[in-house]
Amino acid sequence: MTPADTPAPHKPARAGRGRGARWRAVGVQLACLAVTAFMFAPVYLVALAALSTPESLNRFPLSLLPTDVSVETMASFLTMGGVLPAFVNSLIVGVGTLVLSVLIGLPAGYALARYVFAGRDAYQLFMLLTRALPIVVLSVPLAQLFLTTGLYDTTYAVILLHTALALPTTVLITSAVFVGVPRDQEEAAQIFGATPVQAFVRVVLPQALPGIAAAGLFTFVTSWNEVLGAAILTLDRRTLPAQVLSTLGASPLTYRFAGGFALIVPALVFVALMRKYLLSMWGTTLR
Amino acid sequence: MERSARNARPGRPLTRRSVLGLGLGAAAAPLLSACAGLSTTSGAGKDGVGFLSTQFTPLDERQRFEQILKNTVTDINVGYNPVDVGVFGTTLTSQVNSGRVSVSLVGALHGELGQYTDLLSDLDDLVAELGDRGFPSHLLSLTTLGGKSSKYVPWMQASSVLAVHKKALGWLPAGADVRHLTYDQLLDWVSAGRAANGGKPIFGLPAGPKGLYHRFFQGYLLPSFTGGQITTFRNQDAVAAWEYMKRLWANTAPASTNYDYMQEPLARGEVLIAWDHVARLVKAPESSPDDWLMVPAPRGPKGQGYLLVAAGLAIPRGAPQPDRARAVIRALTTATAQAEVLRQNAFFPVIRDAIPADLPPAARLEADAISNQSEADGAVLSLPPGGLGKRDGEVSQIFKNCFTEICLDGKPVQEVLDAQAVQLNAILDQVKVPCWAPDPVEGTSCRVL
Repeated sequence: MTPADTPAPHKPARAGRGRGARWRAVGVQLACLAVTAFMFAPVYLVALAALSTPESLNRFPLSLLPTDVSVETMASFLTMGGVLPAFVNSLIVGVGTLVLSVLIGLPAGYALARYVFAGRDAYQLFMLLTRALPIVVLSVPLAQLFLTTGLYDTTYAVILLHTALALPTTVLITSAVFVGVPRDQEEAAQIFGATPVQAFVRVVLPQALPGIAAAGLFTFVTSWNEVLGAAILTLDRRTLPAQVLSTLGASPLTYRFAGGFALIVPALVFVALMRKYLLSMWGTTLR
Repeated sequence: MERSARNARPGRPLTRRSVLGLGLGAAAAPLLSACAGLSTTSGAGKDGVGFLSTQFTPLDERQRFEQILKNTVTDINVGYNPVDVGVFGTTLTSQVNSGRVSVSLVGALHGELGQYTDLLSDLDDLVAELGDRGFPSHLLSLTTLGGKSSKYVPWMQASSVLAVHKKALGWLPAGADVRHLTYDQLLDWVSAGRAANGGKPIFGLPAGPKGLYHRFFQGYLLPSFTGGQITTFRNQDAVAAWEYMKRLWANTAPASTNYDYMQEPLARGEVLIAWDHVARLVKAPESSPDDWLMVPAPRGPKGQGYLLVAAGLAIPRGAPQPDRARAVIRALTTATAQAEVLRQNAFFPVIRDAIPADLPPAARLEADAISNQSEADGAVLSLPPGGLGKRDGEVSQIFKNCFTEICLDGKPVQEVLDAQAVQLNAILDQVKVPCWAPDPVEGTSCRVL
């Protein structure tokens, strides 16, 4: 955009190019606005309904502006038995899954990117198998395994399961990112006296951070939205989706909006926190 | 070379920060999960009773039932945990099989419990002890789930009836009693009503995507015409039933294919007569109960077919708190608890004299219709398909297919029934379960004859 805006030597040419560029700029802005509106509209409508009085939901036509702001709906949802504890459980599981899958997935992704070993391609393919098997098929043996090990009905169990589900994507995303970091720089660091670990931490990691953030984002959201595994492995210590998501569809309208809002907000906050790392991935660090 | 070394230095603070962040994250995770999670049920604890159930999953119903539990079972902590059917089966199976049962009490529909007979303890003594509750014999005979001893105690029941707006009574054919209709009288009535209403049908069925219209065929139409549901699926009587259905559909509101819950079109006045599950009719008469009637479903050549939705309470084998679970069952089958469930969650009592006098008028109408229906002469009790597990929906889909092809597409009845019978048998041959009422329960594998 900027190069086209700088004054050109020829007057007529400048007018023609300038107008075209301006139109293109307007078009880009409009497209951005349209995409934003498309993404934002459902969030806005859910938020509006969750923060309105229950009565205003039955009115027709629905007001599109916040005329009846009230926290009554949200309050009655959040104070309902089990919702707040489930919310905390979901956070524990989400963060735990994120940390564990990065701790395991990062070295695996690095090995896949840097070393050539026998069966590397097959390994890469077979890793995806955990996603190929539906949990429904595994549900009874899985629950039985956790029951006999004593992990059943704890957040640990759900963290382990979600880590297993998220690992393939973590490994594949991080290995793709590590491939993008030039090997030469790492070797250069080692020539100047860095140990392999130091070279990794000081040279590779900073450059790979955006990709790792993307993998982490994906892991957290996967864990935040997972219902079936969490419902099978817990009984009294449910995560939020296992506690309410499966039954929201049959619940009264007010609960649906309040529940939807409660499920959207943390994911949005997390995305906002991760945004700066993601942007630097599309920016300069890696091409 | 020197340049690249210097270049690496600006990266250093970032590195340190990210290492710090990584370390913090690694430290926070065990810290966060130091507790293995917070309890999300009303705290079953060690001495409490874990209560796993497939009923009252919607949040508002669950909340009301938890309150009822709190009021009726004061000395025991009950953790009520409503889940969908799949999770119910997985949890029950895995807990009993691994020998580490944490659930002391389960509550589910008759057909759902029927799949887990081996996992439930015998409750003959409890059923005998609760003899004074006056469970109806047709409910008690179901509790054995095809075996010799009782596996559950009846908990609550529901059924489907006809809701009638009094405006429609004017078109009732001569000699017909609205409380003792036959299917032919119903057809005459809705055709007369349609003609008088300027060609606009007055009868509706819940034939929408989430409607229960397949239960109308399974539990009402077919048993009334054929005396069976599966074994008689494609015989001459069944052909007559579907030919009747074709004529009835011609006088049914075409918008029925959009209706999931009949209470809404009834309340809006789009239809005046409708058949549906009681819980899906209860809001229709709410604003003006005096304008409404709830009547038993009609009677056919083979009797008055009606579908019973019965729920029961059972105790899994190896339950940690069997005695407390029994105490909860005793408390939930008292007249007060049963009446409270009816008043708040619209499920009907299974014990004698539990229907309170001060019932809301809408619930009163339904209570009368349900007792009239089950006590009528020649009542043919039907059950929803049982013991089919995940194939349950496929069997119901067969009945929906018949409706679509016969009534909507106008295909020849016998042809459709023959083709669907092949598919039905294919499913039944795989699951190999005994038939359920009204088909003869003997034998090991139910099939279309």
